[in-house]
Amino acid sequence: MSIKPNTELKSNAPSGDLQTKWQRHRFEMKRVNPANKRKFNVIVVGTGLAGGAAAATLGELGYNVKSFCVQDSARRAHSIAAQGGINAAKNYPNDGDSVYNLFYDTIKGGDYRSRESNVHRLAEVSNNIIDQCVAQGVPFAREYGGLLDNRSFGGAQVSRTFYARGQTGQQLLLGAYSALMRQVNKGTVKMYTRYEMLDLVTVDGVARGITTRNLVNGEVESFAADAVVLATGGYGNLFFLSTNAMGSNATAAWRCHKKGAFFANPCYTQIHPTCIPVSGDYQSKLTLMSESLRNDGRVWVPKESSKGKNPVDIPESERDYYLERIYPSFGNLVPRDVASRQAKFRVDENNGVGATGVAVYLDFKEAIGRLGKDAVSAKYGNLFQMYEKISGENPYETPMKIFPAVHYTMGGLWVDYNLQSTIPGLHVLGEANFSDHGANRLGASALMQGLADGYFVIPYTLGHYLGSTALAPVDENHDAFKASVMAVKAQEEKLFNIKGEKTVDDFHRQLGKIMWENVGMSRSKETLTKAIEEIPKLKEEFWQNVRVPDDRNVKNAEIEKAGRVADFLELGELMARDALEREESCGGHFREEHQTPENEAKRDDENFCHVGAWEHNSAGWTRHQEELEFENVKLVTRSYK
Amino acid sequence: MGNDNSTEMTIHLKIWKQDGPGKKGEFISHEAKGLSSEMSFLEMLDVVNEDLVRLNQRPIEFDHDCREGICGTCSMVINGEAHGPDKEITTCQLHMRKFKDGDTITVEPFRAKAFPIIRDLVVDRSSFDRVIESGGYVSVNTGGAQDANSLPINKPDSDLAFEAATCIGCGACVASCKNASASLFVSAKLAHLSFLPQGKIEQDARTLAMVRQMDTEGFGACTNTEACEAACPKGISVENISRMNRQFLKASIKER
Amino acid sequence: MGIFGFIKSSIGQKYVVATTGLLFALFVLSHVLGNFLIFVGPEAYNMYSYKLISNPFIIVAEIGLVVLFVVHLAVAIKLTASNMVARPDKYALQAKGKKKTDPVTKAMWIQGAVIFIFMVSHLITFKYGTYYTAEYDGLVVRDLYKLMVEVFASPLFVVGYVLCMVMLGLHLSHGIQSALKTFGFNHPQYEAKVRTVGLGVALIVSLGFIAQPVYIFFFQ
Repeated sequence: MSIKPNTELKSNAPSGDLQTKWQRHRFEMKRVNPANKRKFNVIVVGTGLAGGAAAATLGELGYNVKSFCVQDSARRAHSIAAQGGINAAKNYPNDGDSVYNLFYDTIKGGDYRSRESNVHRLAEVSNNIIDQCVAQGVPFAREYGGLLDNRSFGGAQVSRTFYARGQTGQQLLLGAYSALMRQVNKGTVKMYTRYEMLDLVTVDGVARGITTRNLVNGEVESFAADAVVLATGGYGNLFFLSTNAMGSNATAAWRCHKKGAFFANPCYTQIHPTCIPVSGDYQSKLTLMSESLRNDGRVWVPKESSKGKNPVDIPESERDYYLERIYPSFGNLVPRDVASRQAKFRVDENNGVGATGVAVYLDFKEAIGRLGKDAVSAKYGNLFQMYEKISGENPYETPMKIFPAVHYTMGGLWVDYNLQSTIPGLHVLGEANFSDHGANRLGASALMQGLADGYFVIPYTLGHYLGSTALAPVDENHDAFKASVMAVKAQEEKLFNIKGEKTVDDFHRQLGKIMWENVGMSRSKETLTKAIEEIPKLKEEFWQNVRVPDDRNVKNAEIEKAGRVADFLELGELMARDALEREESCGGHFREEHQTPENEAKRDDENFCHVGAWEHNSAGWTRHQEELEFENVKLVTRSYK
Repeated sequence: MGNDNSTEMTIHLKIWKQDGPGKKGEFISHEAKGLSSEMSFLEMLDVVNEDLVRLNQRPIEFDHDCREGICGTCSMVINGEAHGPDKEITTCQLHMRKFKDGDTITVEPFRAKAFPIIRDLVVDRSSFDRVIESGGYVSVNTGGAQDANSLPINKPDSDLAFEAATCIGCGACVASCKNASASLFVSAKLAHLSFLPQGKIEQDARTLAMVRQMDTEGFGACTNTEACEAACPKGISVENISRMNRQFLKASIKER
Repeated sequence: MGIFGFIKSSIGQKYVVATTGLLFALFVLSHVLGNFLIFVGPEAYNMYSYKLISNPFIIVAEIGLVVLFVVHLAVAIKLTASNMVARPDKYALQAKGKKKTDPVTKAMWIQGAVIFIFMVSHLITFKYGTYYTAEYDGLVVRDLYKLMVEVFASPLFVVGYVLCMVMLGLHLSHGIQSALKTFGFNHPQYEAKVRTVGLGVALIVSLGFIAQPVYIFFFQ
């Protein structure tokens, strides 16, 4: 295997029959002898579903693993907040599902902007994930006969979603976390909690370690290894308001990008249709209400004559169930991008509800009438309770008010079929990579991808890298590590020394506003150009006028946030540039110039059936392309009508 | 913007400030003005912290992350109650509408020997990780698992396992127990796995290891005050503690 | 480790406190039931006491009780001390609202300390108090009834006694159900019953013991 950077964006997927690709690839890959595995040091950054599963599995195989997370425990990674479920092609409900169906739905759901080989592998291993999680003791929902229960999610006409009430992500993450802690106990994995990765260390263009800040005492230090696995999640928080956790950030991925890893499709952002609307300027984050609610909840806005009335007093004839009206065959279960955009159209048409007018109703009246309050409570009780805690309103009595919010980023660091970035030795998993969801992710597929990458892909492909690459021994005394530590310290020093007038959050909020208004649910040349002008100005002001208080050698949330916002300010610009370059609408990327007369996204397969991957360089960025070849699926206009 | 029911509030805060581990801490007073009743408690602290930064003072450190009640990171004691004055809630889900304009609110860190204070309201809960590390898992490697449906589990047991497994590991049980006992946390994990056939195989060894680790970490003993259940954001039942006691006795008798 | 490790663990120590406490609760229950003979009259009461004392096995029972008492006390003190170490810094405020817990459950060691002082003074006053005698059908027995009437003539003593019995009642009201829960009896089916049994025994014991000095003070 070459040790050169993969700047030609070779997917490295075997050619030939799609169904047997992964099987053939597994056979062809190099392996590391069991006795030799412990001689390899692997760094895994992030302990969510992808990172936790990867660290645990690599530990089981015998590698020497160091696992890092910014949280105070590996169990708190934001995968924990995923509510609805995880897809798998088990076909337990006997509704005709298959690996190929799941593959097809995922490709179609992603609006034909993902790699066939990766998605098929994802669908293939989906079943192993469910088996593995059950073996770990993940308490999935069951039928009275003792077998596993399934429910439906958006973008699919089969029930293939496994779930644990509204806490599926939590249960899966605790499964991965327990597997990880088992390896910690065995000594194969060493945990570093409250450590933030601030730089990737490369030696001769190969990833050989990371530089971190210990968030408890501010110490900056380096760790050398034979390979680095990055599983640090998405960058949705650059919008300031999103459903991500407050600590979710793009810094680790971004610093890898600046060290040479290409960033793919940054403009693909998923706006989740069912979130609790913003209530005021102080708002710090948005809370998602699971997509599973759309199984029984009906989305509507009042018709003209009933605007402003109390929703419970509005008769059926005065309600516009617009998703059911526009998309009769999928109804309320259209994919997320479609549902979000339709909600935005209603608000743009001045038909929004609530005090702000920036919301639509999600109503359970019909379900409560049909199934009874108890049955609805058994299915969604904890979600209803969550809604009530936040909004102060009882959704059993009055419809929920919801509005779309930034939720997930399909874009991320570019990776090949082996999940290796353009930098040899740097592998990227889960939401941090770009690989499987194309331009839009279907519900219950993020958990599937994270665990697929961590449990069933990286353990093989990392072995291939280590088994086929001759790596010179390197430790933390190498100049590259010393330089990295110096650079990280210098940036920190610079931030402390600005001593400006505005808080880190001031800038973050401002950036978020620019992004939401110009690079949000719908984009145009005009808005994107505006963003590309405004963001660098904001960035300049940030580096002159931000105030980072307090000391460096203590727990200091402001310096943590400052570094992350500095990176968001750069990533935001790249996102706008990518959106501007992509002269088509696809999935979560909606360009106003490119739409059908019915306001549906209009793809341009002629010119944009490719991945846009950005290389960072002294001049800014250079855009590269990986052409997407569809050998099995015919590209058609996505229709959910 | 603004919610339908938003009202303006002023709150007198008494917040624990402690510069570092082992340092002497004290309550500082701060008057937070112009708050909205629709803010979450942590958004109120965000506003306070931004004000402090603008006044060239250092902000108050507190742990928080998901802000939707599931990650278990937020960890404060508000007016003597872990996660504040509402049942089955985390601090991040608490909203200012639960307080009255002009109220004085006392905010402290979780206090326990096994949760040493890192700074201000931030505590070190790695003792929980070490308890899980000692045995809170089913010993299966990745790969080789049988088909998920080849092991039917009766629904009531599966539901009980799930309920115990909803523990978010926040430590409110320890914080609210007068003995700083971790019994609810440890027993919830034990119960989750002992209700499932997968977990039964290692039940004895797991129970012994986790209880012993709990003792080693310096948590107190359970005296059945049930303060933990009242404070638990997920409403986990103290029944689990009794189950742990039984299983620990049984495992001890059988141990070779 | 095994069962010896069990005794050293926090849960094992709870089992010891719970076992000794429950056995002691059985003793005080039988004690109060026997003492109800006070309401029958001096002869019934004194003859009951005579039959108890003259039984050669009484010494075994007494040693047993002393052992129970010492073990209960020693292990409870050890546990309480380590529990206090586990929470070295106290909170500025106590929970007042929905998360408030029953203060009785938190003050077991205070009730225990009062009961300990009471027990010592109780033994000094009665077991090792003035030895009066009475004669029934030619049989000379100790007249404990007379001693009791004499002691409970003091209003101060009666009030003190009543307060101590309230403490005992509170201690039992939490102690019995807590002990049963420690053993592992906690299940939706039995939860209410366990609570009722605990409270019932606590009420019988405390009210029973309170009724005796009050009766003697007012009616004898």
